[in-house]
Amino acid sequence: MLLALSAASAALAASGVTGAALVLPILTLAGIKAHLILKDYLGLGTAPGWLRGFDLGLALLILAFATLALAA
Amino acid sequence: MISSPHSSVRKISSGGPGGEAPPGPGRDHNHLPGDLLMWVLILSELAVFGAGLLAFLSVRLTDPTGFAEAQSHLHRTGAAANTLVLVTSGWLAALATRAAEAGQTRGLRLLLAAAIAFGAVFLTLKATEYADLWAQGIGTETHAFYTFSYLLTGFHAAHVAAGMILLTLVGWLGTPKAVEAGAAFWHMVDLVWILLFPVVYLL
Repeated sequence: MLLALSAASAALAASGVTGAALVLPILTLAGIKAHLILKDYLGLGTAPGWLRGFDLGLALLILAFATLALAA
Repeated sequence: MISSPHSSVRKISSGGPGGEAPPGPGRDHNHLPGDLLMWVLILSELAVFGAGLLAFLSVRLTDPTGFAEAQSHLHRTGAAANTLVLVTSGWLAALATRAAEAGQTRGLRLLLAAAIAFGAVFLTLKATEYADLWAQGIGTETHAFYTFSYLLTGFHAAHVAAGMILLTLVGWLGTPKAVEAGAAFWHMVDLVWILLFPVVYLL
């Protein structure tokens, strides 16, 4: 799954799209990958409260990334 | 496609590998799995790299054209390949944790050796990129973009090197707890790259 998502990011970047059409999907894919690493590899799938907390923090960070990237 | 082995890090209170038992009386399903200190480290690293990436994107606002031109000199394909390399390495480390829990010492050492080898591939690709940039006369002072990109990717590469040493040590120890801690550090390195790669190389 992580490999497929990473390949999708690379394909999107190579497709030539720019602006919000590039920034939003790429950062969304990064957020999904980070969620999967936290849930499956770091074991937060067994601690849903902590997983939600980490997801919220990551979502805010990625939202800040997107805002700054689109403002440039 | 690589599927994710569930719960590489054991949930301390669940009493079993993966902590996948259904909810029931007496079970604390909000107990952090693994060592608390490792989670402090993971949070600290995410905060440091997150702040660095926010600073990078903030400075980019002052010179978006210069940042875009500077970014074109990076090895985007090599960095994308490195994402696949690290993800695969993380998967191998997760399998090593399972092997450690099953008492398969030889298996966990082979899996960790493979994970370390992928770490070496990552560093080799990164060194190739640095060498190419330096050959073009591009250093940390050339442009603000490179100050940040060298700092962020160099600091991350140092974590990869530290992780390789750590995986070697925990492979030598061979205990489930040690392997779990080493794998957690390796997953943290993977997690940071997942966030760093799109910001520095793609946006």
